[in-house]
Amino acid sequence: MNDEQLLDPLAQRVRDALSEVIDPEAGLDVVQLGLVYSIDASPASVRVRMTMTSAACPLGEEIVEEALSAIRRALPQVPDVDVELVWDPPWDPSMMSEEAKGFFGWSRP
Amino acid sequence: MSEAPGGRDRGAGGPGPRLPLLACAIGSLVLGVLAGLLRAGVAVPVATGEHVAAHALLMIGGFFGTVVSLERAVALGRGWATAAPLASALGAVALWVGAPAGWVAGLQLAAGAVLVAASVRLHRRQPQLHAQVLVVGAACWPAGTLAWIASGSVEAGIGLWISFLVVTIAGERLELSRFMPPAPAARRVFVGLLALVVIASPGWGFAGAPARVALGAGYLLLAGWLLRQDVARRTAREAGLTGFIGRALISGYAWLAIGALLTIAAALVPDPLRWDAALHALLLGFVMAMVFGHAPIIFPAVIRVRMPFHPGFYVPLALLHASLVLRVAGGLAGAPQWRAWGAVGNAIALATFLASVAASVWRGRRGRGRL
Repeated sequence: MNDEQLLDPLAQRVRDALSEVIDPEAGLDVVQLGLVYSIDASPASVRVRMTMTSAACPLGEEIVEEALSAIRRALPQVPDVDVELVWDPPWDPSMMSEEAKGFFGWSRP
Repeated sequence: MSEAPGGRDRGAGGPGPRLPLLACAIGSLVLGVLAGLLRAGVAVPVATGEHVAAHALLMIGGFFGTVVSLERAVALGRGWATAAPLASALGAVALWVGAPAGWVAGLQLAAGAVLVAASVRLHRRQPQLHAQVLVVGAACWPAGTLAWIASGSVEAGIGLWISFLVVTIAGERLELSRFMPPAPAARRVFVGLLALVVIASPGWGFAGAPARVALGAGYLLLAGWLLRQDVARRTAREAGLTGFIGRALISGYAWLAIGALLTIAAALVPDPLRWDAALHALLLGFVMAMVFGHAPIIFPAVIRVRMPFHPGFYVPLALLHASLVLRVAGGLAGAPQWRAWGAVGNAIALATFLASVAASVWRGRRGRGRL
């Protein structure tokens, strides 16, 4: 999910909520790092598919719970919230936002 | 379908069963440190002569091995992978009670084998270079244990055991280095350095100085690679937890380089104090600095507690490095008293670390609900 992707207002609120979930090692949030693959939001349910840069990192469980809490705080009226951790497609550095790439010293395209 | 350690999968047993395993790891660390002090000539309670002989097994298998395999079991999210930290923790208990060496060796071998299996499973989930490196790192642990069993000497396993930790950390850092601008040539160099380390490690016990010099050279070049490619180059400039982790990493890489040079020096002109300096530069300066740096994110992930960042986290890290300078200077100057004082300082740094973790978890409990 990149910066340019247009989201409906509800999905946009989910994305804003996920921007509070920080990867402490990188110091950037999961949206900027390109870890959020898809957001399906309706007044009845929110479904998020996201990944981690490493399957061997024990932080997965923690990040998923942080994402769930952030969404529930932002949209307390939505009864059904689910965050699924997926490994397909594999995360690739090109999925990072331009801002994140700039932070890590990538040259501008 | 997700097979991840996400909200619905509690295969690694949740935080409850993990706590006793972590407690065994910390118990092994405490006893290992006391045994280390006794070895350095400092009179301490609890540790016995047997524990002194078991110092390396308590520290590398009992502490680091249990922590690494627990971390990997949590990442995999499968119950069977918890057998690795369980076997390793039982091995640590066997060491405390002075059980026959065969039991300890068998349990550590089993722990290493399950860690390899868990790492292979993770590689199938994410078939990439860094996951392969973690399999190689994991395999060094049981390989070192086999070298110990085959030779009857703990020393024979040391090279492989250090590489178990160095390669594991390097694999994790290789993964995070992908945040940095793409550098295909650097990845090829990494593979070459890894090959050098893996080929040289088994020779520690039987190939003498040439293998140890080669291993030291491999670690030295790896330290240079990490200093150049690691995301810590960027994150060390940040504030808060991210900056703390970045600075802990860079301090660790400096010790990896120093430990590598000391390994080469000790291999060329062997001396017990010089070896003490080399091994502790690598295992405390590098590996333990990684533990200090990552504790604020690993503890919360493994046992589900909050550990809010506090500038006090720098205190144990600074104590560790300062006391290690004294210890290494003692090794180079041939001054056993400095080494002993350095070892006492190292123990104080570790005690301060455990206290800072406990204080932070306590603050996290009190702060719960406010966020």
